[in-house]
Amino acid sequence: MSTTQWLLMLHVAAAFLFVGGSVAAGILNALAIRAERPSETALLLRLVRATIPPIAVGVLGTLVFGIWLWHDLGFSIGAAWIWISLALWVVANALGGIGGRHQQRSRELAEQLAANGDTSTDELRALLRDVKGTAVSYIAGAATLAILVLMIWKPGS
Amino acid sequence: MTLLAYSRAFWPLFLHVLGAMTLFGAVSAAAVILFAAHRRPDALVLRRAAFTSLLVAIPAWAVTLACAYWIESDEGLSNANATWLGIGHGVLEPGLVVLLAAIGCTYWWKRTGAAIAGRIAAGVTSVYLVLLVVAFLAMTGKWG
Repeated sequence: MSTTQWLLMLHVAAAFLFVGGSVAAGILNALAIRAERPSETALLLRLVRATIPPIAVGVLGTLVFGIWLWHDLGFSIGAAWIWISLALWVVANALGGIGGRHQQRSRELAEQLAANGDTSTDELRALLRDVKGTAVSYIAGAATLAILVLMIWKPGS
Repeated sequence: MTLLAYSRAFWPLFLHVLGAMTLFGAVSAAAVILFAAHRRPDALVLRRAAFTSLLVAIPAWAVTLACAYWIESDEGLSNANATWLGIGHGVLEPGLVVLLAAIGCTYWWKRTGAAIAGRIAAGVTSVYLVLLVVAFLAMTGKWG
């Protein structure tokens, strides 16, 4: 395999970890919101943490191998689609971090309620369905999807 | 969007990659749940969650396969016998049997709570996850 093929393979493998890990986290989060008891919500939200290491490897890998490929394939330094992708990468990660902190607050409250009778409260339900928290995660997902669009479309190249 | 609509190669490749990533994510979520369930075999919520995660994989599998044929048709690869294409088809098509076996075992586990069903489901799901990783590495690295 050529250097370019190696780089492309590693870049796409990292993208699979990034997007696939985010999909897994999204599924676990959606299941946690629908769970009936706080102990179930807490259990599923704890599992979301297992998706963080692959997502982190993917996030770092897409950037490192992406920039290497940029140089290797000789794309222009002013290629707008690459700069926009980099900006979206920053947005997706920043919002993903904010969404993660929101999930952590929900998990902590669910764990407290699970230890005290395991009955859901309006506070937990409101936190799990919080519009801002949900919107942040959706925008992070949309930014990730937009990166995928740009990577495949490569407008102007 | 108009430009995208005219870009013949965009939609099949975009949907193929998105489908494959969603398939990988759904099977990964199921694997995480199934392995966590070893420590919490009593948790019904985990049995339900593993089953639901694997169900998400089915439409993702269908989109990945349909778009693979769309790309092959567009790019004249229908009769190509490249190794990487063979690995991709080999994992995606017969691999459906493995995915359905994982779903079947998870359903059995969800209904009965039998520990053996959970262990088999975890094993089969892990095998399928490894097969998916081999397939996407082969396809992106154009092995052979």
